[in-house]
Amino acid sequence: MAVQDGMFRAVAVLRVLLLANAVALNVYRRDNFVHPTAGLVLVLVMVAWTFVANWAYADRRRRRPPLLVADLLVAVALIAATPWVKGAGFNATLPGYWVMGALLAWAIHWRLVGGTVAACALVAADLLSRQEMNQTNYGNVFLLLLGGVVVGYLVDLLQRMAVARDVAEREAAVAGERARLARAVHDGVLQVLALVQRRGGEPGGDAELGRLAGEQEQALRALIRQQDALQVPTDEDGEVDLGPVLEALGLLRSPRVSVATPGTPVPLPAQSAGEVEAVVRACLHNVEVHVGDDAPAWVLLEDLGDRVVVSVRDEGPGIADGRLAAAEAEGRLGVSGSIRGRVADLGGTAELITGAFGTEWELTFPRDPER
Amino acid sequence: MSDGDAQQPVRVMVVDDHPMWRDAVERDLAAAGFDVVAVAANGTEALARFPAARPGVVVLDLQIPAPNGVEVTAEVVRLDPSARVLILSASGEQDDVLDAVKAGATGYLVKSASSAELLDAVRRVSRGDTVFTPGLAGLVLGEFRRMLDAPPSDDGSSRLTERETEVLRLVAKGLSYKQIAERLVLSHRTVQNHVQNTLRKLQLHNRVQLTRYAIEQGLDDEDE
Repeated sequence: MAVQDGMFRAVAVLRVLLLANAVALNVYRRDNFVHPTAGLVLVLVMVAWTFVANWAYADRRRRRPPLLVADLLVAVALIAATPWVKGAGFNATLPGYWVMGALLAWAIHWRLVGGTVAACALVAADLLSRQEMNQTNYGNVFLLLLGGVVVGYLVDLLQRMAVARDVAEREAAVAGERARLARAVHDGVLQVLALVQRRGGEPGGDAELGRLAGEQEQALRALIRQQDALQVPTDEDGEVDLGPVLEALGLLRSPRVSVATPGTPVPLPAQSAGEVEAVVRACLHNVEVHVGDDAPAWVLLEDLGDRVVVSVRDEGPGIADGRLAAAEAEGRLGVSGSIRGRVADLGGTAELITGAFGTEWELTFPRDPER
Repeated sequence: MSDGDAQQPVRVMVVDDHPMWRDAVERDLAAAGFDVVAVAANGTEALARFPAARPGVVVLDLQIPAPNGVEVTAEVVRLDPSARVLILSASGEQDDVLDAVKAGATGYLVKSASSAELLDAVRRVSRGDTVFTPGLAGLVLGEFRRMLDAPPSDDGSSRLTERETEVLRLVAKGLSYKQIAERLVLSHRTVQNHVQNTLRKLQLHNRVQLTRYAIEQGLDDEDE
C-alpha cells in the first residue's frame, strides 16, 4: 500500500505537468479548432478533471473502481471528441499526452492487467477517431501500449518486494526480541544453576546435585556461545571467527578447559579455523591422557594482526626429557610430533615449554599476507 | 583507607536482583566476618544506599535492572574513589565485563565460583588487589591490541610495557600470581603491581576517551 501511495503522489505531480503541456499546446494550436468554444470548454474540463482526480486519488479510501473508470472515460471521451472540435483531419488529439495520467492510475491500481486494459482503451479511442495513420501516430500508440504494460508490471514487482521486505523486517524484529528475552531467561537460569552448584559444595549440601547443576550451567553457557557464533556465520570471504570455535571447547567434559579470547572476532579462513581447532583438540586430548580426566587446562587465543597465537597449558607433570626423542627413535610419531606437523602444514610454528610446572604449547599461525 | 584496620571488618554492599543469590552471598560474607552494610536489588537502590552505607567493597551483579552494573560501577567509583567494586556475573566474560572494568571495577568473578573463592576475592579486592579471571585477562589483552590499531593518544595509557603484557598473558593462561612470580622470578607484589597497572591504564584510557568524546561533541563547558 505504501508503494501505491508513493506512486499516486508521483502521478499527481505528473498530471499537473501533463496538463500544463496539453493546455499550452492547445493554446498554441488554437487556429486548428473548428469549434473554438467547444474546444475551450473541453480544455477547461481537462483542467477541472486534473484537480478533481488529484484530490480524489490522494486518499486511499477514494481510490475505488468508479473513480478509475471515470478517469479513463474522461480521457477516452476527450480523445473521441477531438475529430468534432478539430475537424476530421486533425493531427494531435486534444488531451495529447495528458491521457497518461489515467493510464498510470490504472497500471498502479490494477497493475499489469489494469495497465494493459487502459492502454488498449486509449489506443482504440485514438485509432477509431483518426481517418488515417502515420508513423508518428503509430509510434505514440505503441509507446502508450508499452508504457501501460511495463508500468503495470513494475508496480506488481515493487509491491511484491515491499511485501517480502516487510516480512523480513518483521522476522528480524521477532528474532531480535526472542534473543533479548532468551538472554534474560538464560541469565536467570545460569544464576540458579550456579547457586545450586554453590550450595552443593557447602557442608551438608547435595554434592551430586551441585555437580549436575555445574554440568548444565556449562552446557547452557556453551549453547549461548554457539548461538552468538551462529549469528556471525561465515562471511563472504569464507572466513569464520575463531573465538567461538575455540570457546566451544570449554564444553568438553574432560579436561576442564578455560578459554580466553580477545572478545572481538578473530577471522580466519573456515578451513584453517577447522585445522586450528583440531590441533588444539589434539593438545587437550594429550592433557586428558597424560594429566588426567579432571585436569584443568587453559586455552588463550590472541590476534596479533599478521598472526594468530593459540596457547594451550596444563599443570601436569610435564613431558620428561628425552621422551619425545625416544618416541621418534622408536619410529612413533607421537602426539607432539603430530601437533608440530599439523601446525607446520598451516605454515605455523609450535613451541613447547615443559617442566615440573606443566606443559605449554604456543602455536603461532601466520595470516595470509594478502588479506 | 582501602587497606583498613586489620581489626575493623570490611564493609560490604551486595547488589543482586536475585533474592536467593543476594541472601546466599550475604550469609557467606557475614559468616566469614565481613560487615554487610547494605544490600540492593537494582541500580537505583544501589546508588541511593551507597552514600549512607559507605561500603569498602561493592559485590555487584552486572545484570541488574537499570541503571546497569557498568553505570553503577562508574558512579560508585566517582562518589568514592576508595571504594572497590567486585563484579559477580552469571553470563561469563563478555563485553559488559570489560566495560565494568574500564569503568573502575577491580575484581571479577563468575557466579559458579565457590564461596571460598568469593570470600578470597572480596578480601583481596578490599586490600586493593585486583582479581582477574583468565577470560577477563584475554579480553583486556585484546582491548590493548585494539587500542594499538586506533589513533595513538600519546599519553602512554594505551600501551602496555613488555613486562605487563607478559604478566597479563600468563594470567590469561590461567597462572596464579604466585605461579607467575615463580616463572618470571619476581616478587608476588611486583606481579600484583603489573596487573594493577594494566587496569589503571585501561581505566585512564577510558576516561581520556570519554573526555575527548565530550569535547568533540561540545559537551565540555570549559572548552567553550
